[in-house]
Amino acid sequence: MPRVTIARNILAANEEVAAEVRGRLAAAGVRCINLMSGPGAGKTTLLERSVARLRGRLAIGVIEGDIETSLDAERIEAAGAQVVQINTRGACHLEAHMVRDALEALDLQRLDLLFIENIGNLVCPAAWDLGEDLRVVVVCTTEGDEKPAKYPQIFAAAQVLVINKLDLLPYVDYDPERVRTQALAVNPSLQIFSLSCRSGEGLETWCGWLWHVGRAPERSSLPASEGPVIQGDGAAS
Amino acid sequence: MHELALAQSIIEVVETRAEECGVRQVRAVHLRVGEASGVLVEALQAAFTMLASLSPVLAEARLAIEVTPHRAWCEPCASSFAVEDFIARCPACGTWSTRILSGTELQILDMEVGADNEQGGQEQENNG
Ligand SMILES: Nc1nc2c(ncn2[C@@H]2O[C@H](COP(=O)(O)OP(=O)(O)O)[C@@H](O)[C@H]2O)c(=O)[nH]1
Ligand SMILES: [Mg+2]
Ligand SMILES: [Zn+2]
Repeated sequence: MPRVTIARNILAANEEVAAEVRGRLAAAGVRCINLMSGPGAGKTTLLERSVARLRGRLAIGVIEGDIETSLDAERIEAAGAQVVQINTRGACHLEAHMVRDALEALDLQRLDLLFIENIGNLVCPAAWDLGEDLRVVVVCTTEGDEKPAKYPQIFAAAQVLVINKLDLLPYVDYDPERVRTQALAVNPSLQIFSLSCRSGEGLETWCGWLWHVGRAPERSSLPASEGPVIQGDGAAS
Repeated sequence: MHELALAQSIIEVVETRAEECGVRQVRAVHLRVGEASGVLVEALQAAFTMLASLSPVLAEARLAIEVTPHRAWCEPCASSFAVEDFIARCPACGTWSTRILSGTELQILDMEVGADNEQGGQEQENNG
């Protein structure tokens, strides 16, 4: 039977849009972080705290893809960020075209740093490039300390891990060291922050890092290294 | 993971390619999917069957999936090894600085088409 060559990545259409997003953000001098976690790990709270602490030092925008209530967006906006909401209607992950559309509602010239709060899911978002510079995964002390071993793909695809809700450590059976070890096993270059949005512990270090990301003049000087080199992903072999 | 979205994306790519080449009936679509890509092959098959049934060119098409193993290369040892649970550490020398060789692919390789197609003949490589 005749064969016709296709030789295309299944996600190529998304990757093309992601490249377009990345180009527009780079042209405007905006750094972009794709913030991912399981449900309720604290992405929105972390954004709210970070925006408030960096107010006046860093102009932050947020694309909210994980809205529980519109109060979430209002809280981040009140803390001092430009916020756009994406209505995802039950989707399990964000795709690059949603981000491209959301950019229309932002004044990129006035931003240093753009966050995309992805949908609360540790599986699907890992595969979809949104045009970000960095991927940050948030886990927390109330969700079990075997997440990196159970969902290695998302940890392998990230540059940064945040362990949140340290204030609850005395009340839960959670070993942060175990999480670190597992996460570094799948991604040895992962940078790890431990913090509590509630007590404020660790937020200063985290915000210092964000400030560097937002102000880094060159993409190559971003403070986190790339993840492991993946081969055999793109062109047909 | 998102097998429905992947199946949708496969169908869009194949439909476009079929139109470019004047193909009226696609018999099979060949994929290469890495074992570490997060894709559930059965779920992808099911999603593809469902969506393909709605597409005139793809209604008869079967999805043939080649699953590649997750493997990495160790430069010091000059040898490759199987990556277990995403941990790309060389089992022989213990180094972490290894390079992934396979297992993360999500590729559409080609399609089998019916003999009655007025195929343009030229199988140009216009995308990668
Ligand atoms: N105790 C404690 N609770 C937190 C912390 N960070 C977030 N939370 C709570 O965890 C819940 C989920 O947080 P949210 O930011 O909405 O998570 P998201 O779904 O990842 O955006 C909320 O009730 C937050 O108040 C923290 O550091 N400590
Ligand atoms: Mg949220
Ligand atoms: Zn070795």
